[in-house]
Amino acid sequence: MARRRAKAAPKGKDEDVRTVAMLVTAGIISLVVAISVILAPIPQVGPDEGNQAPDFVADAYNGFGWNEYRLSDNYDWDWNGSSDSKWMLIYFMDTDCPYCWVDGDEMSQLHSQWSDRVNFVTVAAELSIPNHDSTRGEIEAFRDKTSYFGCNSDRDDCIDRPGTPNDWPYIDDRSMTIMNKWGLSGTPVSFILEPDGTVAWNKNKHQGQGGDGEELSEALQRLVGGQ
Amino acid sequence: MSVITPPLMAFIAGIVISSYLLIKAKETSGEQGTLGVLNASMGFSAVGIMGSGWTWAIHNSMIMGSSSMCATEGLVQCGSVIGDPQWNNLFGIPWGLIGIVSFALIWFFVLSIRMDIHAKWASGYVDLLFYVCLAGVPFVIWLVLVELTMVDGAPHICPYCTVIHIALIGMVACSYFLRQKRDTGAWS
Repeated sequence: MARRRAKAAPKGKDEDVRTVAMLVTAGIISLVVAISVILAPIPQVGPDEGNQAPDFVADAYNGFGWNEYRLSDNYDWDWNGSSDSKWMLIYFMDTDCPYCWVDGDEMSQLHSQWSDRVNFVTVAAELSIPNHDSTRGEIEAFRDKTSYFGCNSDRDDCIDRPGTPNDWPYIDDRSMTIMNKWGLSGTPVSFILEPDGTVAWNKNKHQGQGGDGEELSEALQRLVGGQ
Repeated sequence: MSVITPPLMAFIAGIVISSYLLIKAKETSGEQGTLGVLNASMGFSAVGIMGSGWTWAIHNSMIMGSSSMCATEGLVQCGSVIGDPQWNNLFGIPWGLIGIVSFALIWFFVLSIRMDIHAKWASGYVDLLFYVCLAGVPFVIWLVLVELTMVDGAPHICPYCTVIHIALIGMVACSYFLRQKRDTGAWS
């Protein structure tokens, strides 16, 4: 009597091909990553001196209203170290920070001295500290020195801020997005950027532990004044 | 610079060839059909990996100013999309790098199945492949929304990003057909 044999289902290979597949995948990825990096090296981005400053887009108050502001729009990418392009001073502050309140005088003086060579930008953050709640109205009043009670930890009217009204952009960073991107946790902190956006001076490096104690005014004189 | 560059043409050619392979494989029954779908999958995922690598390179060059690798003006351009610091990354990781890793995972599943379509684990890998591809769809929808409505000067269309999005859609189709072949007994 003839016996009917069921057709055997196709059987997989004896060896596990997944290891080979993984090695091939790793090889291809390494090649793609290597070619990408050769085509365009990974830039060093961060607040440290010598790095490209982290770019940002946010709303800025210019004295008339709030408009979108992109930091890198102010760069001169072709700067070769000798042209007359403007440097940048980025000042991180909080309208309720007592040190920032006191700094108002120095910032006004520095602006009157360097505004023809340096673009000033203030980033107004809102630190997670009691009485540091801020509003756009408070930022506007701090910049313009107009009446708004609530500046300096809710102790003062903004019109009494030391210094003169500022005529440079104030960025709204109450969400702390830019502060976090720059790795900052406190204010005031200032940075000087070369015209192409490279960080030339970081206050935390000079005035922090182990720093040389160089002040912002001295740094401006050394970096921009010496040009 | 011109929007149509040799790399973009190569990526588009990859998409067209992969689509052709997929359509042809759909009409072929048995193991040949399955292998055809897997070949198309390899084509789509290869375009995804290389396209993502290219956009990552554009991203890196845009941080340092402008890029000669893609147009920066007009409706179809990369500058306002890949060059936008607000939208060109996910938690600080460039989308291009995320694309390379994601398509590498897809490529690994496809290659493993392609090398041994009768392995015991192949059926499970088909499901994993499908779910990984499906997980990418919300990101594609989000990124298309970003370039059409949210970037500076929107709407813009980033050609390389679009090629990668199409590659992912192609992969969703491939993985769907693979599941279908498996479930209907047409695998081999």
